[in-house]
Amino acid sequence: MAIIGNPKYEQRIERHLAKYETKRSAVMPLLYIAQEEYGWVNSDGIGEVAQILNLDPTQVKSIAGFYTMYSEKPKGKYWLQVCTDLPCALQGADDFHAWLKDELGVDEGGTTDDGLFTVEHVMCLAACDKAPMLQCNFRYVEELDQNKMRQLLAKWRSEANGRG
Amino acid sequence: MSDTVTINIDGQNYEVAAGANLVDAAKWHAGNDIPVFCYHPKMDPVGMCRMCLVELGTPGRDRATGELLRNDDGSLQIRYFPKLQTACTTTVSDGMHIKTNTQQVIDARNDVLEFLLSSHPLDCPICDKGGECPLQNLTMRHGPQASRMYFEDKQLLEKHYPLGDLIFLDRERCIQCARCVRFQDEVVGDDVLAFHERGRRLQIITHSDPGFDTYFSGNTTDICPVGALTTADFRFGARPWELNEVPSISPWDAAGENISLSMRLDRDFGGKAMIKRVMPRQNEWVNEIWITDKARFGHHFTRAEDRLQQPQMRTGGTLRNSNWEAAIAAMAATLQGADGDVAAIAGSGMSNEDLWALRQLLEGVGAGRLGAWPPTHDAAPHLEQVGVGAGTNLSELGRGDAILVIACDLEEEVPIWRLRLKQAQDRGAYLVVANARDTRLEDFAVQGARNDKVVEGDAIRYAPGEAVSVMRDLQKAHPQIAERLSRAENLVIVAGAEGLSLAGSEALAAAAANFLIESGHTGSANNGLLSPLPGANGLGLHYLGFTPQTTLNIMQEPPRVLIVAQAELLDDDPAAQQWLSQVETIIYAGLFDDGISQRADFILPLQSFAERDGSFVNGERRVQRFYTAQGPMGQALPAWKLFGGISQNAGIANLKPSAAAVMLELSGSVAAFQGASYRALSRTERQFPDVGGRDLYYGGTAYTNHGGIGLQIPTAADRGADVQRRDMADVAELRAGEGELLIMPITRLYNRQRSFRPSLLVEQRILNPYALIHPDDAAAAGTIDGDLIEIVAGESKVRVRASVSSEIAAGGVALPRHLTDAAVPLSASVGTVSRVTDAVAVR
Ligand code: SF4
Ligand code: FES
Ligand code: FES
Repeated sequence: MAIIGNPKYEQRIERHLAKYETKRSAVMPLLYIAQEEYGWVNSDGIGEVAQILNLDPTQVKSIAGFYTMYSEKPKGKYWLQVCTDLPCALQGADDFHAWLKDELGVDEGGTTDDGLFTVEHVMCLAACDKAPMLQCNFRYVEELDQNKMRQLLAKWRSEANGRG
Repeated sequence: MSDTVTINIDGQNYEVAAGANLVDAAKWHAGNDIPVFCYHPKMDPVGMCRMCLVELGTPGRDRATGELLRNDDGSLQIRYFPKLQTACTTTVSDGMHIKTNTQQVIDARNDVLEFLLSSHPLDCPICDKGGECPLQNLTMRHGPQASRMYFEDKQLLEKHYPLGDLIFLDRERCIQCARCVRFQDEVVGDDVLAFHERGRRLQIITHSDPGFDTYFSGNTTDICPVGALTTADFRFGARPWELNEVPSISPWDAAGENISLSMRLDRDFGGKAMIKRVMPRQNEWVNEIWITDKARFGHHFTRAEDRLQQPQMRTGGTLRNSNWEAAIAAMAATLQGADGDVAAIAGSGMSNEDLWALRQLLEGVGAGRLGAWPPTHDAAPHLEQVGVGAGTNLSELGRGDAILVIACDLEEEVPIWRLRLKQAQDRGAYLVVANARDTRLEDFAVQGARNDKVVEGDAIRYAPGEAVSVMRDLQKAHPQIAERLSRAENLVIVAGAEGLSLAGSEALAAAAANFLIESGHTGSANNGLLSPLPGANGLGLHYLGFTPQTTLNIMQEPPRVLIVAQAELLDDDPAAQQWLSQVETIIYAGLFDDGISQRADFILPLQSFAERDGSFVNGERRVQRFYTAQGPMGQALPAWKLFGGISQNAGIANLKPSAAAVMLELSGSVAAFQGASYRALSRTERQFPDVGGRDLYYGGTAYTNHGGIGLQIPTAADRGADVQRRDMADVAELRAGEGELLIMPITRLYNRQRSFRPSLLVEQRILNPYALIHPDDAAAAGTIDGDLIEIVAGESKVRVRASVSSEIAAGGVALPRHLTDAAVPLSASVGTVSRVTDAVAVR
């Protein structure tokens, strides 16, 4: 759809705009909304954010490019970011990450053919004590093992299918 | 507070301007070139590259007493920062000490340079910048002998990324200094460039629509300290050291941009010297170090195939090739046999020397009607009285000052003025833009804030044709704005002719002059009137007695013999065919044939500005000279030589041996040009910032001014004359009747004028013919956006696409000149609009 004129976001956008003294400061929260709507930060989203904030689209694109939590490539419906930083790695996160990619049949950063899952490794997410862990669409899923992960994948699959 | 402070550089004291940037101060006063990449003297410092590191200390003070601490020998105790500091982000302060030649500093520079080179492609041998590249030069001084980096680890990025039609980006060469980004943002005010990603993958991008297509884009290639930005026009065209720089003046508009023509003997031009590129030449009063893309990329006409190259003469009803001797003799006879019924119309591309020779010829045959072309702007008499004061420098306008721009579109008419006025607003000046439609400068005026900095301005939207009464009644209708303008310390008014008749443009200038006189803003630097007279020498025409009023008179009462010099009448004036048919003999001298060869008895090829010496008077009354760069096209002559030759043949005066000699005579005869000998015009002085000092490319590849900074003609007010306001009780304004609209020809920078068409690269950016019309007027004419419409006004009948928008006030139609094949009206006129076909059919 769109974020401008979308009742789903209207209030949130208003709230963000009210938070800052200068309008352009709201660029980051608005980019998250764009990412939420389109699944990634695409040109449409950038254009809309620019329009709301009265910025040049180039400036918005620049922000999106700087921060790694904005994705400028299409992502699966579930964006799985596995932490493989040192403490996690000591708990076997590397192996877990490799296994997960195998399980889903994707390379690093790749998306499954059905468009459901994207797997990618990231730096410390500050949940070292609950390793291995990942974040799915920025929600933490902790103390993982292969079994638990299989169940989760199945759950997400049916969730996605259930909704058509 | 004193205006200077003392700083110590490498053990020596220097008095420098308080508040100066340390890099600039060291360069200017101590000749110490602190190396920089990201810092640029025309932009705010950002401290990004770290190349300018120095040891920096300030006098220590006792914490308790605040007393300066002294060493045993009584000298001040200097406390150095433990780490090196970036000089570019430092403002000088009294007692500051810096060291620029210690081992620590040298090591730091070496390391920064090695770091920058760690992923640089080092492809200097095929790089356009090679030979005039700051990175290359500093590598010579600070670079490592051999690379310690793994070749495989270098970033492989795009080498030919088109940022727009005109500029290519080589992403591997970019050292991420953000000069291009900041130029677009700070100087131009069009932030369409930015960084993307980070660290080693940082890249310049544009994600705007349209992309990187400002009228100033070429300047980024000058200030890019590496070869990352190159122009589509010049890239791979030549090596800088093969080029011979010839000082010149942009032939396009009233700014009189100082340019440098880079010449090389070239295969593409039969082995003769040709213009390979056009570069800016520093003149801080005129264009600083910037030039428009039109000046940079519009040079192709000087060697266009369709230039006139051979004198032609009509014999027995047919135009035949002739030779100069025969043609000149025949013209002399024709002119002498005309009983003084001779007139001349000269275009604004004619140099002062040309105009003088033409005037002498006319006076010699007992004729006096000298017309200026195009007859659209008549502000010159007022510019002579109360034009901007001698010594004006638009870069000095700032806080406390004000600018009013009325009835013009400076972005399209004199882009450099718009650039500089927008920056004046950035510095705090109050900018008011008044017009019947939206313009680029108006967008800036009403922006309110840029980059979180407050900027002050207002816009006045008036009904089409009303400019004069708006100016005259400013006090009544817009008291607050008028008050701020009157109270400003310095005030500059730019009065154009958009939406006005010729008489209207004169009245507008008079009303503006009145305002300036009443508020006491005349006769001093940075105060007074400007007008975007078309062409490079609109004011030269005026000072030499060629007036637009006379042109109208010539059009009404055509003479027996008419000399047309560098004026494309048929392209500009829809009525030209008609009134020219009453002229017995037409003598046409020019660069291109606009179809006048059908009628003319003589067709004479003239040299362009690049082929000869000459001088123009710019819109700020600065007489500036240009030099011979290219050989003549065919048999083309400079106009002064042609008209001087006819005079000699007719026994009026001897032909002068050179343009310099013509100028010498002219400067002795016409008061305005007093003292304007070529020697005086070629005087130069050291300018700040020093773009071509020992550190040759410090400010980019704008060239040092070796050709002269010119001489400004003083106004009457400058000379202390008592300038009087004129009573303006009744002004005749154009009014459209029932069912009619005011057709307002407007100027677009990129258009289909004959001299611009040969520049193919830029031609892609010329718009298709269109007219801007208000939704109400469109509805009344039964037309919608995109329709093909026909506009009829007087003799003019053109078909264009309707662009329906409320950017224009109701009652007027903005119709760009020189986009259509048929001529639009010379000046604003009353006319009608009708629909031809609908939008779909057009497509
Ligand atoms: S392209 Fe040139 S000017 Fe722009 S950031 Fe890179 S090196 Fe600097
Ligand atoms: S290392 Fe994985 S969450 Fe900290
Ligand atoms: S940091 Fe000073 S010039 Fe770049």
